[in-house]
Amino acid sequence: MTSSDTPHYAISVVGKDRTGIVSGITEALYRLGCNIADSSCTMLAGEFAMIMIVSHPRPFSKSRLYDELRPTCEALGMSLAVRSLHADEALRQHTEAEICLISVYGADQPGIVYRVTKELASRDVNIMDLNTKLVGSDEEPVYVMMLEAALPAEVSPEQIEAILADLKKELNVEIGVRIVTPVSL
Amino acid sequence: MPIQPILRYPHPVLKRIASRVEVIDGDICSLVQDLLDTMVAGPGSVGVAAPQIGASLRVCVVDVSTSRHGRDNNHGRLCMINPEITARSGAAVMREGCMSVPDYTGDVERATTITVTFTEPDGTTRSITASGFEAVAIQHEMDHLDGILFLDRIVCITTGLFRRKNYA
Repeated sequence: MTSSDTPHYAISVVGKDRTGIVSGITEALYRLGCNIADSSCTMLAGEFAMIMIVSHPRPFSKSRLYDELRPTCEALGMSLAVRSLHADEALRQHTEAEICLISVYGADQPGIVYRVTKELASRDVNIMDLNTKLVGSDEEPVYVMMLEAALPAEVSPEQIEAILADLKKELNVEIGVRIVTPVSL
Repeated sequence: MPIQPILRYPHPVLKRIASRVEVIDGDICSLVQDLLDTMVAGPGSVGVAAPQIGASLRVCVVDVSTSRHGRDNNHGRLCMINPEITARSGAAVMREGCMSVPDYTGDVERATTITVTFTEPDGTTRSITASGFEAVAIQHEMDHLDGILFLDRIVCITTGLFRRKNYA
């Protein structure tokens, strides 16, 4: 559980993938008495990337956290970044918004992510999750992007579809919009 | 005791296999009424199972008729005692959340059409074939009777496309 009265930090660790990264980093956090709240870790090409929100039950400086984690990261060949969060930043985020999964894929070309997300940002659509992957062959590289976004109340999924339909023609890529708002049971 | 608080994991009753109802007496009828009252009181709730309010018995209620996902395809208010799924077909993934596991949602695959047989509070046996969101809701609530949470059924932690890392 996150709460607003304990110090929270955003930590990112990235480096060449190998076994033992997660256990190595989380062991160091455990020994420091840190709690991992939300985290997302994934393999990107051959790199493994960890993003974690951690808290500490007692006052604990950012520089101490950095210094304590650095030897472990160096031993694993990982880069390390630590940022202090303001109390209100660390609070759990709730949304009642409609959530859309937007899939975009097509021949690789510069600007796919930028052009799509610019249309979304200009309408206050909030991206919550985004994955991209370069697939296909060297001769015919294909770019695949999957993103999940929360729509503001005044924007409908149909409007997003219509907006992106123009972009689909211009970039000659496939764009799909599906509603994935969770059902409450 | 009309509206009951919804128990949240890690309350142990949520992971227990609920007992069959042998006799439908006044207590069972009160339980059904509590489940209905609790369901109606929950914001957007389309079902409640007895273990969620602390009764480890095979009873659940489902009503998707007021939900935008189920309003065009439903059997109205269902009060199910000892429900059993006798046939299932199809499969579809829906992102589910649960009042007993707040703040988390996940993609769960369920049968798209089910036939479920159950006893109603008046003692009659009824069999219905449900599809779409109503089928999902019934399967979700019935899972509670077996101590299964949607967390036990999440099929992927990321979009399926990224699951295969090696194509050799």
